Amino acid sequence: MFRPSSIHRGVCRAVIRGLWTNRRTSLHRLLSTYGGVQGGLADADTIFALSSGYGRCGVAVVRVSGPASATALRSMAGHRLPPPRTALLRSITDPLSGEMLDRGLVLWFPAPHSFTGEDSVEFHIHGGPAVITAVLQALGSVPGTRPAEAGEFTRRAFQAGKLDLTEVEGLGDLIHAETEAQRRQALRQMSGELGHIYRDWSHKLKRCLAHIEAFIDFSEDELIEDGVLDQADRSVCDLQSQIEQHLRDERRGERLRSGVHVVIAGATNAGKSSLLNTLCQRPAAIVSPIAGTTRDIVETAVDIGGFPVLLSDTAGLRESADLVEQEGVRRARERVQQADLTLLVVDSTCLPSDVQRAAGFLSEHLRSVSPSQKQPATDMCLLVLNKSDLLPETQRQKLKMELRGVSGLPAVCLLSCQTNEGLKDFLTVLQSSVKTLCGDPLAGAPTLTQARHRAHLQQCVAALSQFQRYRDSDLALAAEGVRLALTSLGRITGRVGAEEILDIIFKDFCIGK
Amino acid sequence: MLTKKLQPVQSFLSLVSRSVGHFPRQHYDVIVVGGGHAGTEAAAAAARLGAETLLITQKIHTIGALSCNPSLGGVGKGHLVREVDALDGLCGRAGDWAGISFSILNRRKGPAVWGPRAQLDRQRYREFMQSELLSTPRLTVMEGSVEELLVTDPNPEQPGQHRVNGICLANSSHPISASSVVLTTGTFLSGSLFIGQTTSPGGRIGDAPSSAGLSHTLRERLGLKVGRLRTGTPPRIVKDSVDLSLATLNPPDSSPTPFSFMNTHTRCRPEEQLPCYLTYTTPGVERVVRESLHLNCHIQQDAKGPRYCPSIESRVLRFPGRRHQVWLEPEGLTSDLLYPQGLSMTMPPDVQLRLIREIPPLHKAEIHMPGYGVQYDFVCPTQLSPSLQVKSTQGLFLAGQINGTTGYEEAAAQGLWAGVNAGRRALSKPPVALSRTESYIGVLIDDLVSRGVTEPYRMFTSRAEFRTSLRPDNADLRLTLKGFELGCVSSSRHQKAVRVKNSLQDALAALQALSLSTTSWKRKIPDVHVSEANSNMLSGIEMLQYKDVSFQVLASIFPEVLLPFMEFSQRLKIEAVYRPHCESNKREIQRIQEEENMSLPEDIDYLSLPVSLSQEVREVLHRARPSTLGAATRLEGITPAAVVNLFNYVGLNKHNSGCQGERKRRRTLEKTKTRLR
Repeated sequence: MFRPSSIHRGVCRAVIRGLWTNRRTSLHRLLSTYGGVQGGLADADTIFALSSGYGRCGVAVVRVSGPASATALRSMAGHRLPPPRTALLRSITDPLSGEMLDRGLVLWFPAPHSFTGEDSVEFHIHGGPAVITAVLQALGSVPGTRPAEAGEFTRRAFQAGKLDLTEVEGLGDLIHAETEAQRRQALRQMSGELGHIYRDWSHKLKRCLAHIEAFIDFSEDELIEDGVLDQADRSVCDLQSQIEQHLRDERRGERLRSGVHVVIAGATNAGKSSLLNTLCQRPAAIVSPIAGTTRDIVETAVDIGGFPVLLSDTAGLRESADLVEQEGVRRARERVQQADLTLLVVDSTCLPSDVQRAAGFLSEHLRSVSPSQKQPATDMCLLVLNKSDLLPETQRQKLKMELRGVSGLPAVCLLSCQTNEGLKDFLTVLQSSVKTLCGDPLAGAPTLTQARHRAHLQQCVAALSQFQRYRDSDLALAAEGVRLALTSLGRITGRVGAEEILDIIFKDFCIGK
Repeated sequence: MLTKKLQPVQSFLSLVSRSVGHFPRQHYDVIVVGGGHAGTEAAAAAARLGAETLLITQKIHTIGALSCNPSLGGVGKGHLVREVDALDGLCGRAGDWAGISFSILNRRKGPAVWGPRAQLDRQRYREFMQSELLSTPRLTVMEGSVEELLVTDPNPEQPGQHRVNGICLANSSHPISASSVVLTTGTFLSGSLFIGQTTSPGGRIGDAPSSAGLSHTLRERLGLKVGRLRTGTPPRIVKDSVDLSLATLNPPDSSPTPFSFMNTHTRCRPEEQLPCYLTYTTPGVERVVRESLHLNCHIQQDAKGPRYCPSIESRVLRFPGRRHQVWLEPEGLTSDLLYPQGLSMTMPPDVQLRLIREIPPLHKAEIHMPGYGVQYDFVCPTQLSPSLQVKSTQGLFLAGQINGTTGYEEAAAQGLWAGVNAGRRALSKPPVALSRTESYIGVLIDDLVSRGVTEPYRMFTSRAEFRTSLRPDNADLRLTLKGFELGCVSSSRHQKAVRVKNSLQDALAALQALSLSTTSWKRKIPDVHVSEANSNMLSGIEMLQYKDVSFQVLASIFPEVLLPFMEFSQRLKIEAVYRPHCESNKREIQRIQEEENMSLPEDIDYLSLPVSLSQEVREVLHRARPSTLGAATRLEGITPAAVVNLFNYVGLNKHNSGCQGERKRRRTLEKTKTRLR
């Protein structure tokens, strides 16, 4: 279920460098009323996607199809192409940094003998989300590639005459199901804060474009002040920096790349280091019965349920005259403030023997962890009651009953690092918390969605720089930049048609000619 | 080339008599009803194609009349004029003949949105159109009023519920039959004129209303859905009564640019050109409008007027408290009238006078003819196919304002295309469509037939997705060769276009071959900031992309290679700058064209089609009846799944009818790919 992550650091660096390069925006997005499956009948883009089912699995299959497939394979799995349709074990590396991402099987299907009829490649890799994400992001950095739309592989296969017409009957339904799922997912995402941000951008960009278009189509005959363009200049500049900013600190994606920060904190001798060692299955931290054994922060990278986690053990929280220990405590508190998730370890033998007072005791304890600050939100903290083996069985049962779902209190796990009793339940809770923090890349494939969003936002930013580049020399080409930007953004927020732009023009300007 | 057209007026009268004097034949290939901007282009195009054509108009004398503003072209509209000209239409050459004030609008905003435009001499424009039509081989022009369409049962081998095979004239018992009939009746279909509280039937002041029979046939007999729109025109003002010293002078370009690819200069000499004047409305104008609202029934009607060419009434009502521009435009070289662009109005004549006198240069102005409003029926254009033929009626084509558009250029563009298709039908050739990826005409027609109109439709450059590729400068490359294949372009124009195309190709190849290092370029052109970062070799094309590098500069450095192409210097500069953007459009364009090439049969019954489609999708398709898969994908409510299933259906259908094209295409594609590796 969990293992130390050997690939974690590689993934991390590879992914950070794995920029989505130079992908072409297609203007028909503006035209088409549907959002799901246009890649284009004459599309020469190379597409990639996770083709195996979603959910945790031993082996994941990532498929690539299109003219850049061979390039992708060469740059990620060694310069010699394998013989056609033969599985070979290769190291899969990031094309930019050369870091190893995984070892897995690769297959090369030159056109026309492939599922899509195009040059295709398959990567059979380990099924952890971090590995999958890393490989997908690495593919995205190969020039000429982009994430596939729902059903796009099948559709290409159909267009290449690779599917029997009877097989095609099912294709429509498949695409319907996929696009429906995609739509629901988009809706889910759009209802959140992120959706609010995207819609706001789209709205600003629309006005911006409308004003530029008004200036192009009408300013020679109409009273359209030059100020209109200055305003557009400012908007474009603002938007560009906002989107760039957003692309830089997308925390959730960041977590997925560099790991969730989980901090083990608590009073001295509660068993924090034992918990660390249990989680990483090796004696990473020194464990002793002497209070204050851990004085500095001990970090280790682990893989929990497929997600990279950076686990930190901290000094026990107590007042101390020892300067070194004081510094350790200060660092521990600082870590708790920065953590994505805090595991607050409590020695269960210290709990009041009257179980009804246990909840009160725990919230008091929770406050003491960070007295100066607000206590950590309940979804950013887990309470681990360690040394459960030292409690009598009846006491344990009572505690469990009493502490189940107390409002205002984080999830509570009763556990013994000594006997591993309760460990399984704890891991389930921990895993689901980590998963939430990472945005569960496999549920409904937001890995792809996020990758796509990212790609669209990057195209948007690139298109806005086209505006800047041509602003003074050729307004038509500059406007084209804003159009492309809006089209890219429209791939996330919904298309914007020419009529909508004209509506804004006629609302904002009196066009009399 | 223009010189050839410099003598047409001499034979003018004799031609008129020839056309009218002979009793018309009993059968024509194509009959065009209406002699406005759409009708003239339609008749001329059909005749060029080789069809024996009859143009019926109420008065030959009003052929080529400019009912509203005395100008042609502009931003977006100028694109259309250039395209009509590239297909050998009339209006571009007519503009060069009649123009008295030429300017390229948007000169500072990039060549893709340059708007060639001219003020016209009304008299000269009419002269040109009439002499051109009356001397066109295979074209007969006749005065008359069409009473009725001859409607019969459809040819069962073609889709459609009816067939039109001729017309009946008023005051004549002899019907005239034709394979195709093109209706270009403008604002005359159930038209009413409005001034103040007075209403009278008609489509233009001074002309008789068209027959009620025609509009009845369209609605009742053919079951076409019609809507109602309104438009208006300003009063014409006596020039001598205007104090032009109080307005701002707006001079034309010092060197007029002709509309037509065939002309190197305009008839009007640069120094002969007349200026326009700019002035503004005052709060007094707004006051007069508000005070007279109760006397103004046009403005109270709920027929839809254009948002972009509103009457002065709607302008001040929608944007109160602002000043609005008024352009004072010449009506002709010798005309003693001025046209006040922006002052279209429908109030009673005495109020019109009060209103215009609130504007400083017009404070003593006299009105020659008051402004008025027109309301008219239009046929909802979604009932047309991209060939502009009515889907339900074989042989009936519609073009111009009858389809819900506004503007001379929009009308001319449709007229030409309807004429081409009407001619093709008569000659038993299949219909043709222009793609929105290759022309503004394609954008116009696709917007009309696939989306319909809710207000009078006018062209804007923002409607064209591929604006950077569809430029006024390259309309000939985009359309003339294609037009020649269709038969609507003369061989002389074709030869010229081929020569231009080859020269441009040679020139671009020569530029590409000029490959120098950055340092060498810097030595040769010291003033230009070639970015040092680019250490690679730079071609002449890449150099031409720099703002300050003109073709002339390069030609002076490499005279032996480039001097032969000096006449194309401006086009080459534009090509070089736009090339990378057009390249990146290409794939997208190709994709849309392929979808557009997959036609959906016109007689398809979507409600019972044995294909997996949801009921909503079926209804959308049933209502809109898209003619291609491309048009279907642009419909509101069409799901990706539906497109796939339709795609499948089209493929299957092609297969069944023995057409192996699609398969062959796929096989070729695969072969090419294998070869390329």
